[in-house]
Amino acid sequence: MNSLDPRVNRLPQVGQPEHVEPKAPLDQFGTFEVFVQPKEGKPFQHEGIVHAPNLEMAFVLAKEAFTRRFQCVSLYVVDTRNVYVSAMTEGNQSVFELIHDTPEQPGEKESYEIFFLTKRGKQHIHIGSVTAATPGEALTLTAKDYKTDKIIYNVWAIRTNDIRFTKPEEQELWLTLPEKKFRDASAYKAGDKLKDFLEKVNN
Amino acid sequence: MYGGGNTFEGIKTDSLAQEDPVKLAEFETRIERGEKIEPTDWMPQLYRKQLIRMIEQHAHSEIIGALPEGTWITRAPGFKRKLSLMAKVQDEVGHAQLLYSAAETLGKSREEMINDLITGKSKYSNIFNYPAFTWADSCFISWLVDAGAIVNQLANAKGSYGPYCRALDRICAEESFHLKYGHHCVIYLATGTEKQRQMFQEALNRWWPPMMHFFGPSDKISAHTEVLMKWKVKMSSNDDMRNQFLDMYVPKIWELGFTIPDPLLKKNTDTGRWEYTEPDWQEFKRVINGDGPCNKERLEVRRVAEERGRWVREALKTPKATYVTPLA
Repeated sequence: MNSLDPRVNRLPQVGQPEHVEPKAPLDQFGTFEVFVQPKEGKPFQHEGIVHAPNLEMAFVLAKEAFTRRFQCVSLYVVDTRNVYVSAMTEGNQSVFELIHDTPEQPGEKESYEIFFLTKRGKQHIHIGSVTAATPGEALTLTAKDYKTDKIIYNVWAIRTNDIRFTKPEEQELWLTLPEKKFRDASAYKAGDKLKDFLEKVNN
Repeated sequence: MYGGGNTFEGIKTDSLAQEDPVKLAEFETRIERGEKIEPTDWMPQLYRKQLIRMIEQHAHSEIIGALPEGTWITRAPGFKRKLSLMAKVQDEVGHAQLLYSAAETLGKSREEMINDLITGKSKYSNIFNYPAFTWADSCFISWLVDAGAIVNQLANAKGSYGPYCRALDRICAEESFHLKYGHHCVIYLATGTEKQRQMFQEALNRWWPPMMHFFGPSDKISAHTEVLMKWKVKMSSNDDMRNQFLDMYVPKIWELGFTIPDPLLKKNTDTGRWEYTEPDWQEFKRVINGDGPCNKERLEVRRVAEERGRWVREALKTPKATYVTPLA
């Protein structure tokens, strides 16, 4: 390559120029859903996804992709395949009208984290947890335990054990150092310089 | 950062004929009510197709757009500017991640999108097919190309597809830093030495024509997009966005004492619209179809990056994994 960019000219020759080996499926890894707590005392909310080879890497990448600049006090990730999703409703129909009562199931009880979608176009918000043997039972219990007059359009249930939470010692990841102010728009004040310049020009 | 002027495919009138009319009507009233469409909702094939195309082009533009500026990180004047530019370029790559994820909820995998980028099948914003000769070019991009991107993105953030709008809300919040940073850089050049002023003037001369192309072909010649406007995929016409950009930024450029290389550029006080020399749409077409100064280089850099990263991805692959479409 003959580029204006010296770094580009230094790139080693790899493969055949202009010949692209197509990517294989899952070359970009599976997806993980990311949840962020924006402030102490506020519930976790769904933010989006990252692609990662495993849960641990998903956590690291989620921190980079979703909390680089925005307020965050805690973060967690879960494999997309481990999210149990209810049907989606609209208008005045609450999702609980569609959830059939699952009788109590045999087997070991486990904790599930529950998320509500209260407004279409917004994100899912963490609402609490229930203890159930299956995801179906978890939804039935949610309908009882978290009864509300508000219309809920969609519910997610995630087994608590499938979630990679922020460890207490990781909390300091989000303490922004004072010398990192260059990442904020407020660090770029040139108003005075511009004013002086305009005064000089106009006189 | 983002190039507007998406190249939408021409829409055939019969492409809606095979859709279920009842579902289509429900879909359209939902959009009319101002409700968002979510991945699990029913949507016409055409809506899905054009959205994938648009979000994907946007994502590619962020990735490729990081290249002309990225080249100036090592040569930025001073430690502070290096830090800022690095943070900005990191943001752009981060935006691409958010956008690829949003497009993925519509059913096209990230592998397919990246394949289509490096084989040249998908487009990205045309403006990044031009080279950044000097530091001043990089300042032009940070300030004015990002400003154009914000005009475009703010409009699109009011669109109808939930995951795309949510990604854009995050992106717009970060872009405000880019805009302030870019303006700061340009003010420093403008109030500096004669040589510095000249540097920016030359960058402005080079970048003005691609900047005018940025919002896409004039409404007079662009593909019919009424149905996309109705579905809130496309939120504003190319000419409207171009006019809004000129309205906001031409006075700021003039304020700094620079000359915009278009003798016909002026605001018509009667209509409130800007008048300008018609951009060279032949050149726009030629460059977008691959014959620009940097098209080859941009794709080749991406291809080399893919090749060099291949062994890492292969080493990390989990053989048991199966793909599922992400949720929202």
